[in-house]
Amino acid sequence: MKLSINWLREYVDFDCSLHELAHALTMAGLEVEESRELLRSELVALGGEGVADDVVFDVKVTPNRGDWLSVLGVAREVGALLDTSFRSPAPEVAVISPEASDLIRIRIEATDLCRRYVGVVIRNVTIGESPGWMKDRLIAAGMRPINNVVDVTNYVMLELGQPLHAFDYRLIRGPEIIVRRARAGEMITSLDGIHRELHKDMLVIADSERAVAIAGIMGGVDSEISKQTQDILIESANFNNVGVRRTSKRLNMVTESSYRFERGVDPSITAVAARRATELVQDLAGGEVASGIVDVYHDPVGAMEVTVRPERANLVLGASIDPDEMASYLRRLGIDTRPRNGVLICNVPSYRPDVTREIDLIEEIGRIYGYDNIDVTLPSGASQGKDSPEGSFRERLRVILMSCGAQEVLTHSLVPSRFAEVAGLGAECVRMRNPLSEELDAMRAALTPNLLQVVARNQAFGTTNANVFEIGKIYRQTQNGIDERLSIAGAMVGSLWRSAWGLPEKGLDVDFFACKGLVESLLSALGISGVRFVEVQDEPMLHATRGAKIMVGDTSLGFFGEASPAAREALDVRGRPCVYELDFGSLMAATPELLSYTELPRYPALYRHVAVVVADGIRFGDVKQVVLESGQGKVEEVDLLDDYRGEQVGSGRRSLTVSMVFRSRERTLTDEEVNAVLEGIKGALQTRLAASFR
Amino acid sequence: MQRCNLTRLDVGFLEAVNMTAYDTLDNLKSAALSRVWAAGTSGELDAIETEYLGRKGELTQMLRSIGALPPDQRKDFGQALNLAKNQLAEAIARRRDELGDREISAALKNEAVDVTMPGRFFQIGGSHVLVDTLKKIKDIFIGLGYEIFESPEVELYDYNFAALNYPEEHPAQDEHMSFYITDDILLRTHTTAFQHRVMKNRKPPMRACTLGKCYRVDAVDATHGHTFHQVDCFAVGRGITMADLKGTLHTFASAMFGKNVDVRFRPDFFPFVEPGAEVAVTCTICDGRGCNVCKGSGWLELAGAGMIHPNVLEGAGIDSEEYTGFAFGFGVERMPMLMYGINDLRLFMDSDLRFLRQF
Repeated sequence: MKLSINWLREYVDFDCSLHELAHALTMAGLEVEESRELLRSELVALGGEGVADDVVFDVKVTPNRGDWLSVLGVAREVGALLDTSFRSPAPEVAVISPEASDLIRIRIEATDLCRRYVGVVIRNVTIGESPGWMKDRLIAAGMRPINNVVDVTNYVMLELGQPLHAFDYRLIRGPEIIVRRARAGEMITSLDGIHRELHKDMLVIADSERAVAIAGIMGGVDSEISKQTQDILIESANFNNVGVRRTSKRLNMVTESSYRFERGVDPSITAVAARRATELVQDLAGGEVASGIVDVYHDPVGAMEVTVRPERANLVLGASIDPDEMASYLRRLGIDTRPRNGVLICNVPSYRPDVTREIDLIEEIGRIYGYDNIDVTLPSGASQGKDSPEGSFRERLRVILMSCGAQEVLTHSLVPSRFAEVAGLGAECVRMRNPLSEELDAMRAALTPNLLQVVARNQAFGTTNANVFEIGKIYRQTQNGIDERLSIAGAMVGSLWRSAWGLPEKGLDVDFFACKGLVESLLSALGISGVRFVEVQDEPMLHATRGAKIMVGDTSLGFFGEASPAAREALDVRGRPCVYELDFGSLMAATPELLSYTELPRYPALYRHVAVVVADGIRFGDVKQVVLESGQGKVEEVDLLDDYRGEQVGSGRRSLTVSMVFRSRERTLTDEEVNAVLEGIKGALQTRLAASFR
Repeated sequence: MQRCNLTRLDVGFLEAVNMTAYDTLDNLKSAALSRVWAAGTSGELDAIETEYLGRKGELTQMLRSIGALPPDQRKDFGQALNLAKNQLAEAIARRRDELGDREISAALKNEAVDVTMPGRFFQIGGSHVLVDTLKKIKDIFIGLGYEIFESPEVELYDYNFAALNYPEEHPAQDEHMSFYITDDILLRTHTTAFQHRVMKNRKPPMRACTLGKCYRVDAVDATHGHTFHQVDCFAVGRGITMADLKGTLHTFASAMFGKNVDVRFRPDFFPFVEPGAEVAVTCTICDGRGCNVCKGSGWLELAGAGMIHPNVLEGAGIDSEEYTGFAFGFGVERMPMLMYGINDLRLFMDSDLRFLRQF
């Protein structure tokens, strides 16, 4: 809100500098965001008269303090802060013919949405320009002068915080003014020229035939003040904040009036504002008050009694303010305060609807005392801090993956819904009801599409090698609601080296086995044993014959493998990226809490290499299993040295060069013993897998 | 040198002994030594060693012929012979060292590399700067006795607003334009939404903290986004005061920024706290003198804070008369932006490796 300092000075005296004033207001919660000089020449350039130089404060009014949305409200605060005198408005109105109810009758039908309605009819006004001083004020406040009557309504709103509306009285089919809900399908053309359909929950001001204004938001063009206007009806009313807000949102109309009503307008000011407007209209546009001031006020609001215990205030604030001091702070704020039996009894005026209980008064005491004057201490008592189990596990995972050379990334949870479809999760996709755009219409159902997108984006930037991971939430629609869970995933493409001149080309680029190696490194670093890798053909993210599920017992921890051609195409990624995605919770559950120490071997190991020739369909895993099963407990480790297919073994066959480590935990094995075991193994391979040896 | 040794023998002895034996020894030794000094490779040296000192070497042979001398001269001649052998062995060892050094350096010379050729650069892994910031924040609060809670991003409208004392249809919600999934379910607009979840399941005293993504309907530019990260903390107990809140934020900010910063509180409004405050800390860029970053004020806005509103405590079944508490929350992106001078919020989640690898 823009606040003219010249205007402020009409209501409150202060002799501090404007810099000090701005600081005092800011430190009391009314932040002065900007202070700007407004020179006479500038006012003239903006259509004003430039009566005097001014300074304009741009203040940020918090939504709880509707009372600050006026010169009067800020003046009251300045008075309290600087403990200086503040003047209440006392408009003088000459009423010619009191209570001429044939000119205006007011009927409030929707009493829940309108607490008070004050109407004044002024006849024989002369519409014209406003005087220079008034134009200057309006311009300083950021409004545009229109004509003397409309300007008066705006002026009083800015000054007292009460939105007003002026109707051309002769264009209203009176005398009855009805405050009612709109009828279904009722239309109005508002002052901005838009023809609007009203909803039956919206409050309107109506004459005997039709709606003439959208209550608290905007008047209609049918009764607009024009140059020809002679008689006017000034409306000063108190509309319900929630009602105005709903209508304003529904019609997508935010006006100076709706803004104030939403934040609450003091019902005690309604009539004062009407009188102030009448006084100004008479001064500036002439005319006579023909109707008296008609005031319909049901359910009047008075001061509210709230008590505060000084010791409680000090306990909450961590201060030791004297109770008399507290009482004086509250009185300065216009809150009538008297001590009784050790507590302060406070009568909170109606312009402070935000103060309803003790804690609100404690805040007021704190504000005037100054937050800066409150001590700096720490809560007493020790307390043991700790991370969440997921939080600690997440840190472990980060360290392992970074040690594997992976770069951590953070990607958006708001993604296009097609990402879920790429991952085959379209049915489980959580969609936004009000998305920002089509590209942000869903929550991610998996991390891997995001990570492939990261790869694609980096490829576009010219970064062709990527090994990225993310630990983050995924979201899926299930029968029991939305399942939000942590997931851990990665994508790899290109070389694992940044510069690899002189190395053999084969094996430098990431492939299925590099990805598997990373997954295995992760599982092994976590101490997870008994992992099985099972072919998976139906995972949409994965290549149909280069993908695997990660199984521990009957639980699938996730999957990894080469990205499917469909996923590569959908995410516009080049090369042959590999991806992995594991369920964080399952991985955490599979991780042993404590790893136990294994005694180091005391006896030496013996090593043997065997080239096992088997049919193509036989997997390394099958060979390994037979070796372990037929090794008489002497085989410590089985590894693969080479996988050869070609002339030397004949078509349809492969030669697996397998290395074996033999060791006993009880004694030193002899060559003869190991050879005997090896013969047994070979025999088993021969019978069980039809293997031959090279 | 060998001459000196011989001069030590007295004249009578010289006359008495078989001069030929001494002369032969002397000549043999001189010849051997000059060949040692002249040897060019360690192989040559090995041959010389064998020739003189080997089992069938010449000096070894001389030792065997000692029996031909008269008994009273054998001892002296034996000594002279041993001395000569030792001298030769010593000379060979010295020469071998010399030759070895020379040979190694010659070999190394053949293995020279071009040190300006690029290293085979390991692509090392790295952390995300924002996750590191979250970790640092988390660790400070764990140190201050807070328990970290996981909290959902897909949240009930009620926990995001109603349980936090937001009145229905109140302009306080204007800054919290929400993404809705259904009428009752939305993406949380602040991590504060976790308060009710923790409060209703725990008993005071408690100190709780959560961190994570929040969402608001907002157009994306260098300083705004629809997604951002927040941290929220609260403490509930007997006798917790606003002074404790100030101290906690002072301790946090000093630990976070690595220097003793001042904390400034000024009144602000958040429905879930009363009294409510906006918290600023000494600008870490200019140390409070005023600069571009703090727009000359010397202060950086850090957090929203306040004493937990009694309505919030009561809504979670906590006696607001017996217990008080404070709460605060703040955005995370701002901190690394300040620390590293990052000028565009979007960089954090755009995943450009050229950016991420800088930290």
